[in-house]
Amino acid sequence: MEISSLDRSHAGTRIERRYGQKVRAFRRYLPVYLFILPGMALFGLWTLYPLLDAFVMSFFNWNPNPVAQSPFVGLQNYLEAFSDPVFWQAFRNVVFYTAVTVAGQIILGLAVALLLNRKLFALGFFRVLYYLPVVTSWVVVSLVFAFLFSSSDGPVDWFLGDVLHLIPDTQSWLGSTTLALPTLMILGIWKGIGWNMVIFLAGLQSIPNELYEAARVDGANRWTLFHAITLPLLRPTITFAVVILTMGGFGSFIPMFVLTQGGPLHSTETLLTYAFSNAFSSFDFGYAAAITYIFAFVVFLLALIQIRLMRRKIEY
Amino acid sequence: MQTPISRRRFLERSAQLALAGSAAGSFLAACGNTTTSSSSTKTTITFWNAYNVTDPENQTLLTKVIPAFQQKYPNIVVKSQNIPYNSLLQKLIATVAGGAGPDVVRSDIIWMPQLAKIGALVPTDDIVAQRKSEFYPGPLATCAYKGKYYGLPLDTNTRVMFYGKKLLSEVGASQPPTTTEEFQALSAKISALNKNFYGYAEGGLDAWNILPWIWSFGGAVTNDDYTAATGYINSPQSVAALEYLVNLYKTRALAPNLLGGSSYSPDDEFGKGHVGFILEGPWEPPTLQQTYSSLQYAMALVPAGPGGSSISVVGGEDIAVMSSSKNIDAATTFMQFMTSEAAQVPLGEVGQMPVLTSLTNDSRMPAYFSAFAQQLQTAKPRPVTPNYTKIDTILTNAFNLAFRGQASAQAALNSAAQQIDPLLSA
Repeated sequence: MEISSLDRSHAGTRIERRYGQKVRAFRRYLPVYLFILPGMALFGLWTLYPLLDAFVMSFFNWNPNPVAQSPFVGLQNYLEAFSDPVFWQAFRNVVFYTAVTVAGQIILGLAVALLLNRKLFALGFFRVLYYLPVVTSWVVVSLVFAFLFSSSDGPVDWFLGDVLHLIPDTQSWLGSTTLALPTLMILGIWKGIGWNMVIFLAGLQSIPNELYEAARVDGANRWTLFHAITLPLLRPTITFAVVILTMGGFGSFIPMFVLTQGGPLHSTETLLTYAFSNAFSSFDFGYAAAITYIFAFVVFLLALIQIRLMRRKIEY
Repeated sequence: MQTPISRRRFLERSAQLALAGSAAGSFLAACGNTTTSSSSTKTTITFWNAYNVTDPENQTLLTKVIPAFQQKYPNIVVKSQNIPYNSLLQKLIATVAGGAGPDVVRSDIIWMPQLAKIGALVPTDDIVAQRKSEFYPGPLATCAYKGKYYGLPLDTNTRVMFYGKKLLSEVGASQPPTTTEEFQALSAKISALNKNFYGYAEGGLDAWNILPWIWSFGGAVTNDDYTAATGYINSPQSVAALEYLVNLYKTRALAPNLLGGSSYSPDDEFGKGHVGFILEGPWEPPTLQQTYSSLQYAMALVPAGPGGSSISVVGGEDIAVMSSSKNIDAATTFMQFMTSEAAQVPLGEVGQMPVLTSLTNDSRMPAYFSAFAQQLQTAKPRPVTPNYTKIDTILTNAFNLAFRGQASAQAALNSAAQQIDPLLSA
């Protein structure tokens, strides 16, 4: 077949040109793809594949022995969760824990950021001090709290009971159905303040100083400055922190696993500790997978709602 | 932010790591095989156990038992891997799922039905048929699931009452209590000696802790063939036992640490002479000897309930071949060796009670074994069912409700019976 240059339709040229562009773009980005590839391969192997595998697992009465039969049960694992009182207790615990720890971390993190966002003696020292719990392992800080809040001879017990006489001598913290979760909340808030401080410091430093100066000229007091300038301009930062912290709060696992194993009487059970014990001590892997997918769905919804609610633009 | 994400993925990662680790391990083992097989067809088997690395039992296993095995079977190489007790079941199940578990495992007796149910263990009916009379019947029964045997008993134990002689004489008693009534009176007197003293201290509210009292009072968890809990765990005798313990707790005769959240260690407080009575196993005397060598103590049977029977709880381990093993014959040879006198005697000498009837009253065994052997004659196993871990949680919750006064002992155990019944039919 003969094709003269005159026979070439315009469309054909366009396609050829586009193809040429694609090749050039591919050549140009090839190194980029190659750099991304190892990370993506690991992500696919260690994160994406198990995630999808767990999704499939949640529809089976899954037997961990690969040579044994795993009967398909449809939605039974999901339905079982909705009628399981322990699942709902874990759900309530997680909502309560997340609400308190997110609020506590944001308020205290912002307060510390405001305090440390000025010229202060030993500023770096204090910033490091507040950030220290963030970089310390969850297991380590959990064990420290086990010691601090140990009943009858722990430092907290000694100080509040024997020194201040505020609590009875035999007060139990992590062994009490009413106090164990609040104790874990104190741990969660304390550990998170430093991270929030850093995020809010970055947010505060991106607010232009002129706004404060102009407002001061207009006679605004400190509270007005905070209320009318700082807070609205920090809204994107707060949104970011709330979304990330909510996901973290819903996914709480290590401190409960280390300190209380979800007890006493499921009072500190979270969705993930409950999933873990269902999988690895009762071998109900399908049920555990269903719980984690309900958890993932709820977190996804919450994140969507939060981002929608707090997306309003602020302009000055 | 890194922490919440890593928490969320902790579950997946830990399973993956376990899988990857074991896969790498078996890969290395396989490499070892090929290199050695060229010269002298050697088989390597891995043996998972929860022996403490620093314990005399582990030293004996590595320096005496395994070398003796390899002398007898030069073509089989045994690699022992110590895995912490609390993560052994999880690791085992993660590697079973990956098809790359160990060849032989030393499993707690309470996990056996659960592992047998998912088909993770090789049946041993033919071995048991030949060797049945060699083993004590109690430990052998822990290998049975639905009419078949899996693995062989490896070691056994039970809890007896340890009593501090000094505290006992301080409250004017020359003999240890033999009935629950005497036990209660003496415990109350010891607690009254000092603000920091307790008559009795217990480590928690698991079945392991509480069942000796329920059985000694004439109660039970289920019927004998583990098909019904109603009428057993909520029988008048079971309820009376729980009420008895709650009363000990409320009157300060029993230390409050068993509700959790405390760093109080019953064994250490007993060692320091602050606690009159503990219930403990045969591993305790060597530990007390090491840490509290000046303590004057002795052992006696668990106090007998109103019906006159003293019944404790059977503990111990079985040894089993994993069905995912590529070397089932070599693994079975090792399992047989571990349950022979050649292994049972040296491990017995360092505190692991043997399961062979031929070693009853054997002079090579520690003298204090006699107290445990006597208690074992009446000791009972915890419910033998693949749902044991769930039943343990239900029992612990019921005991918690009663101790915390959130339900009467009767109501708590009624509810437990209702929850356990459907788990037994499965």
